[in-house]
Amino acid sequence: MTFDTQTKDSTLDNLLKEVPRQIESLRSIRETFLTDAVLLGEIPSPTYGEKDRIRLVIDRFRENGLQDPTLDEFGNASGIVQGSSGNSTILVMAHADSVFSADTRHVLEVGSDFITGPGIADNAIGLAAVVALPKLLSHLNIKFKDDLLLVANVKSLGRANMEGTRGFLETMSRPTKAGICVEGATQGRLSYSGLGTLRAQINLNIPSDYDWSSFGAAGAISHLNRLINQLMEISLPKEPKSKMTFGGLTAGSSFNTSPRTGRLRFEITSEGDEVIDDLEKSLHEICEQFSLETGTEVRMEIVAKRQNCGIPFTHPLVKTTRAIMHEAGITPKVDPSTGDLNAIIRAGHPGITLGLTTAENLREENETIHLEPIYAGLAQLITLLQAIDEGVCEL
Amino acid sequence: MTEEEKSNWLSRNTFHHGEFWDILKLVEEKEKKDLTISLCIPTLNEEKTIGKEVLILRSELMERYPLIDEFAVIDSGSQDKTLEVACNYGADTYLASDILPEVGDKRGKGENLWKAIHQLKGDIICYVDADITNIHPRFVYGLVAPLIQRNDIKYVKAFYDRPLNYSSGLRPSGGGRVTEILTRPLFSLFYPELTNVIQPLSGEYAARRDVLEIIPFPIGYGVETSHLLDLYYKFGIEAFAQTDLDRRVHRNQTTNALGKMSFGILQTFINRLHAQGKIDQLPDMETFYRRFEVEDGAYSQIVQEVIEEERPPMIEIEGYREHRASLAD
Repeated sequence: MTFDTQTKDSTLDNLLKEVPRQIESLRSIRETFLTDAVLLGEIPSPTYGEKDRIRLVIDRFRENGLQDPTLDEFGNASGIVQGSSGNSTILVMAHADSVFSADTRHVLEVGSDFITGPGIADNAIGLAAVVALPKLLSHLNIKFKDDLLLVANVKSLGRANMEGTRGFLETMSRPTKAGICVEGATQGRLSYSGLGTLRAQINLNIPSDYDWSSFGAAGAISHLNRLINQLMEISLPKEPKSKMTFGGLTAGSSFNTSPRTGRLRFEITSEGDEVIDDLEKSLHEICEQFSLETGTEVRMEIVAKRQNCGIPFTHPLVKTTRAIMHEAGITPKVDPSTGDLNAIIRAGHPGITLGLTTAENLREENETIHLEPIYAGLAQLITLLQAIDEGVCEL
Repeated sequence: MTEEEKSNWLSRNTFHHGEFWDILKLVEEKEKKDLTISLCIPTLNEEKTIGKEVLILRSELMERYPLIDEFAVIDSGSQDKTLEVACNYGADTYLASDILPEVGDKRGKGENLWKAIHQLKGDIICYVDADITNIHPRFVYGLVAPLIQRNDIKYVKAFYDRPLNYSSGLRPSGGGRVTEILTRPLFSLFYPELTNVIQPLSGEYAARRDVLEIIPFPIGYGVETSHLLDLYYKFGIEAFAQTDLDRRVHRNQTTNALGKMSFGILQTFINRLHAQGKIDQLPDMETFYRRFEVEDGAYSQIVQEVIEEERPPMIEIEGYREHRASLAD
């Protein structure tokens, strides 16, 4: 064991000892971040429509003591908690967009031990934690040598394909030690890799000259059903691990009229980039064949494609995170990310995604977070930031 | 009041919450004037909404900006977790029946508002309903700010639907159904100056203690109406102000419930007409509200007793006078 390693271990030990005290202390100022979670969460913020929520983030950054919070050209809000040296930067990000449309009734219910409402877990509470971080650090009397760069990033989800994060990272020129993505759910997730992902949308259209009298003629729903069956017959390898998820199906509006158009949204994730490349080719072929056989117009649009990336399980950032989780009473579960972590790692920074609490009904209108685990979730975040600041997480 | 005076009152005493966005400045003015402010939320089975109201208002207006000195939930005997949730987020919680027990216990929102005058210490008391689903700090600072800034204002009402200029003129204000088909016509007939109050029945208002303690409180539907009529009678329109709080989302009431509410308001209104000498003779009024229901083609009359009982001015209660004297000591 080198002296350097011994120093790191002892520094980490000292930080870990503070975790229980931090958890209790954070409990005493929960109103600070829960209020932000509710106020932010009740502002609709669909991807590409985050402007109003971001305006509140900027106001809150300012009220919480950040100097000159910034709105960048992509719509991201950011602010800096100045460190004593400022020689390097730790990035703390939370996405500000939500899967819910502006038409959804964004009303949250606050119970004694829960908050329920659309988008509270993904990601109003995560965003609130980042927004409230200066207040929490001040309350805990924690100061950093590094600058903390707090970012509420927009255009993260779905079709946006991390556009906000990628834009932010491309234009940021600060020396960065690490990036942490903060998600509301789920506590215990240990995401240190970005999963290879292909998101696609298949649009099926029945042309105006379609022969409704021919054998097998059908509306868009029947055709999409057959197409889905064909996609489900695609053999996915066990290794590298791969998965296909059907996330959205839209067609028709009545009981007795066959719709002429339909749309299928799905995602393929795989630990093998070559698997994704092969599947993309197969999907195009299936769509082309289906189109020719049925006389329908089938067009597949690739919405997002990302390659696998990550840092090793043995990276000090991952090891330290595991140790902190253990101390905070959180059971870690390896969970590759399909979100903004991918952009951070691909930009060359070591990164990790943390979940703050446990949740139910994710991405449903009655999405619910549990309040009791949040204090440990926040303590894990703050202790990890301290460890990065102390150099414990460097190779 | 001439049209010009009316216009002056509207422009001088009608505010928008956006004018008071600088809460820190309000806190400084409040401290400079040595004022204390109490916030009261009357409740009955409001567990769905009370947690958010207490969390946001307390966090923003007591912790972040110390505008409010006291935050109380006064409950009429909820069967759900209203008090548990409110207490969990730091509100002082009281059962109305435990306050001034020597005067007895009556059931109604007005009872809670009246007993708040005794229980709470503030020079200004702000009342906010518990069923607001889009609660925001503006619901409080928008109401107390005119009282902090202007000594001549005694009572501030909320209104919610800002009249906008359309090409055809001013869009009618969006008062509720009872306001538009009962209260406003009555005011137009008997108290035309009060028609300047855009939403006379809104459940959010703030007032100085020294005016709240000298007026009676109906315990039921008539409490908002009686406040306006009694304070207008004593001080005139200049005592009032109103603040636009933008949108308010709350539970919608059935037409039947609004009929019952109107019946209660009418009792309060007519009693004041008589007391203020606007009508000479007043027959004994019925206290039964009658309406019809139809089932399988058969009509039946539903009869409900609605008695607008009133509490006397708090200043007339001996226990209150002793309590205030002990606080002064």
